[in-house]
Amino acid sequence: MLELRKVTKAYPNGPIALKDVSLAVSQGEFVFVVGQSGAGKTTLTKLLLREEKPTSGQIIINGRDTTKMKSREIPYLRRSIGVVFQDFRLMPNWTVEENVAFAMVVVEASPRLIRRRVAKVLELVGLSHKAKQLPGKLSGGEQQRVALARAIANQPALVIADEPTGNLDPETAWGIVKLLLEINAAGTTMLMVTHAKQIVDSLRKRVVALDSGSLVRDEERGEYHG
Amino acid sequence: MVKPRTFGYFFQSAGSSLVRNSWMTLASIGTVAVALLVLGVFMLLAVNISAMAAQVEQQVELTAHLADMSSQERTRLQSELEAIPGVVEVSLVTREEAWQRLLEWYGDDRGFLAGWEEDNPLRESFEIRADAAQRMGEIAAQVKALRGVAEVVYGREIIEQLLSITRMVRLVGIGLMAGLALAAMFIIANTIRITVFARRREIGIMRYIGATEWFVRWPFIIEGLALGVVGAVISASVLAWGYYFAVRALVVAIPFWPFAAPWPLLQQLALVLLGLGALIGVCGSGMSVRRYLDV
Repeated sequence: MLELRKVTKAYPNGPIALKDVSLAVSQGEFVFVVGQSGAGKTTLTKLLLREEKPTSGQIIINGRDTTKMKSREIPYLRRSIGVVFQDFRLMPNWTVEENVAFAMVVVEASPRLIRRRVAKVLELVGLSHKAKQLPGKLSGGEQQRVALARAIANQPALVIADEPTGNLDPETAWGIVKLLLEINAAGTTMLMVTHAKQIVDSLRKRVVALDSGSLVRDEERGEYHG
Repeated sequence: MVKPRTFGYFFQSAGSSLVRNSWMTLASIGTVAVALLVLGVFMLLAVNISAMAAQVEQQVELTAHLADMSSQERTRLQSELEAIPGVVEVSLVTREEAWQRLLEWYGDDRGFLAGWEEDNPLRESFEIRADAAQRMGEIAAQVKALRGVAEVVYGREIIEQLLSITRMVRLVGIGLMAGLALAAMFIIANTIRITVFARRREIGIMRYIGATEWFVRWPFIIEGLALGVVGAVISASVLAWGYYFAVRALVVAIPFWPFAAPWPLLQQLALVLLGLGALIGVCGSGMSVRRYLDV
């Protein structure tokens, strides 16, 4: 469902962020992407979301080469990908419910469907009782759950979690990871970019390691290392 | 295409920006209103001046306002007038008739004339019809020479002047409006720029959850449109109100002037102003949307 073919990304006047990376992920897989800061993890996320184009190579998502997409097609690509960031990226002056619903407003879902689905995903992440609160009143873990609810509101085939536990204490982090596993178990492909050694090592999922822009390791039941 | 119901969200979004940047909102609306008001004032002036020219142009009539005189003198004067070559008809308009005409001319708005009845300020006059408009010049000269004629009102030579004044008024109005509209557009563009900046977080989120470019743009376009249209509504209202009262006052001061009736003139003008306001608003926000939204 997701394939990178010899992808290289070089920034003008900068180092090469990704070097000749090839990677294939099938539907329903759970993949950790690990590596030091500056290894190319963030660049990888940006390329997958088509925030940036690779210098060379192809990126195929759901059978389509995203590097050849016209700019007006990009929104539709992004609708098939749910994203969660380290810093949650919620609107502080909107309620939890409104934040989640926004993802569906943007894709112009019907109000009925929005109400139904928002209630469902909030229940899934265990925040039904906080639907009317503002994100500022919530703990970090709860805010990340809201972000996750928003990411899956449109039932994307792929979820990219970019250091979703980076700002959370270990216990809270586990709660988020459990949710990601649940979502993955329901068939959603999961790509989790992370620094959390403990999580990676105990789950024994597929691990893809980047180092200075190169893919240095791709193990079926891997560990964090380094 | 964006679905109609999504516009609810757009309007809400635009509305909250307008309220949040209330000072910029007021400044934008104010400049739009002033620009269109200036245009409107000059357009109304032009319409009324050219109405006068048109009226004068068609005239084969001239009016000789009379000094106070006895009825004998008046009868003599009438036969003298009828003797002028080219004159077809001479009819007397008494002060009472003149007053009645004034009342009729005002129709339903005559109320304000009420106090004047007792002290009719109008003069007696002879209305003189000629056989051709071209002879008006010579006839007027002869009428003027007669004793008892206080003033001759007739047009031909002032038509040209009126028309050139009309042209000038139009030009000045459009020129001033263009300058002010440009200023209004830049102020709106700046307002929208501030909104874009205030919403950059939301815009970022919208982008990565798959909002189309138009979805992102619409609220800003609507915000600009609202600024332009509200400004236009204000200027149209002020103009309508002002014209109504100005004409009421001026009709007394210069009763011979064929002031254009407020209806449907003001309606047409309001539509033009609304259109221009909308255009100014959309162009202004378009400038910022292109500059600050499209990466």
